[in-house]
Amino acid sequence: MSKLLQIELQKLLPYRTFWVILFIYSAFLLLFAYASSHITINGQQSGSQIYQFPGIWMKLSYVASYFNLLLGILLIILITDEYAFRTFRQHVIDGLFRKDLVASKYLVILLVGLIATTILTLIGLVFGITYNQHITPGLLFSGSMHVVYYLVQAIGYMSIAVLFGFLIRKNGLAIISFLGYTKIVEPLIHWRLNDNLDQYFPMKVLSSLTPMPGQEVLDVLTGPTSALNPQQAVLPAILYIGLFYALAYLVLKVRDL
Amino acid sequence: MANVLEILNLSKKYPGGVQALNALTLEVAEGSIYGLLGPNGSGKTTTLGIVLDVLRADQGSFNWFGLPLSKETKRRIGAILETPNFYPYLSATQNLKIIANIKNTGHQEIEPVLRTVGLLQRRNSAYKEFSLGMKQRLALAAALLGNPQVLVLDEPTNGLDPQGIAEVREIIKQVAGQGKTIILASHLLDEVQKVCTHMAVLQAGKLKIAGRVDAILAHQDQVIIRAENLAAALALLPQLPQVSNFRQDNNSLVLTLANNFTSTDLNQAFFQQGIILSELTVRKKSLEAQFLDIITNTTTNQ
Repeated sequence: MSKLLQIELQKLLPYRTFWVILFIYSAFLLLFAYASSHITINGQQSGSQIYQFPGIWMKLSYVASYFNLLLGILLIILITDEYAFRTFRQHVIDGLFRKDLVASKYLVILLVGLIATTILTLIGLVFGITYNQHITPGLLFSGSMHVVYYLVQAIGYMSIAVLFGFLIRKNGLAIISFLGYTKIVEPLIHWRLNDNLDQYFPMKVLSSLTPMPGQEVLDVLTGPTSALNPQQAVLPAILYIGLFYALAYLVLKVRDL
Repeated sequence: MANVLEILNLSKKYPGGVQALNALTLEVAEGSIYGLLGPNGSGKTTTLGIVLDVLRADQGSFNWFGLPLSKETKRRIGAILETPNFYPYLSATQNLKIIANIKNTGHQEIEPVLRTVGLLQRRNSAYKEFSLGMKQRLALAAALLGNPQVLVLDEPTNGLDPQGIAEVREIIKQVAGQGKTIILASHLLDEVQKVCTHMAVLQAGKLKIAGRVDAILAHQDQVIIRAENLAAALALLPQLPQVSNFRQDNNSLVLTLANNFTSTDLNQAFFQQGIILSELTVRKKSLEAQFLDIITNTTTNQ
């Protein structure tokens, strides 16, 4: 395993695309965190309210969930590159097996997920500490389970992206299909289907991990929508991740490289 | 000697319906330089792709060193399939480090292999800046990493200028001199004849002939005869064991002698049947003519 990770790092660290996407991800998150603290509501700056612990973790992970698409696109680029450069083929000739190819990319998913979660945590800590007066370690990390939910969500998004990458192999088409599925196809299915059913669909399960702050208030107004709460969504999310892993391997196994 | 590679009844059909391989059976002995010869689309790359684990066979089996494919057997094989495959944004050394890690071999081997292929000076240049010849040579360097027992090269001189071709052939001979087995796919008979000890000829996914290069290419001399009574000679030809193949060319007959017979045997046979030849010419066939003969001849003699 560590050998596979080492090989992936040898490809990733010198690759500019990798750094550019991570930079854009951090910049967006920072920008949103910063901008929303400067919105003035009823003559009062919102910063001090938004960044109160423990609510900050839930709010930030909800914001970050929008940028998971960037991470998915990064993974698609990394996989379709290997097809374009024919390096998957060469790896298999040189000694790897198809199961190693899938495992390597899941190691990258884990790595990118941890990096994204770390960035999220750092931003949370910096803004939280700036806007909170009385801070105790207990207060700092209460509600930080939301960060873990976010990690699971990011891994889930990237797993779907990886499956599209292995399935379609061409970068443009794979990215379009990934966006099309996550943003158009599944929402359409949700719209047509009963809530009781569609709460178990992959994108719905993943988005349940980082619910919108204040959803409770909305539910009172519009009537409750049935969606899993974050704790309930973890297990189906992990099952989906396992399923996408298995499908990616299956796709590689039955096809020529 | 033991076989390095054994292929049994390999068949593959591509999704488009092309039968790329049709029950191919082959053996490659240790220490040989084995040429896989055939026109473009004859199944050479498909064969190599299957035994290198990147293409799936519909039927048939193969083994390396008498063993099923594993990490260990792969480590004993160095191979280039079709094109050199590297990360364009990485340098030669960075690319080779990745391959060294996959092959589980030390990075100290990288400098010697780069020296062997003459790329040591350019080791820190990005791969995308390389010329085609340099890319091919880097692929050779990558194949040599881990000191493999077998080198599999698919059209290694394709697209190179004459100097590049000469350099690559020189490297191949140098490597073969170290006692390694080399499997070389090529559509150039000239290349196979110059480099290889053994050869197999493929056409439309079928094996046409396999054996030692000198055995296949030497005994295929043509004899051209004329006689007063051409019709009688023509009628006699199918019965003669000395002749493996014949055709009429205007008022002369073009024959291919069977193995172990000479033109003297042929002349004597005609004389015994009362046919006097007015002319008998032995013609060493050009390589191209021999190649065409092999692929148009429907009988396989292994």
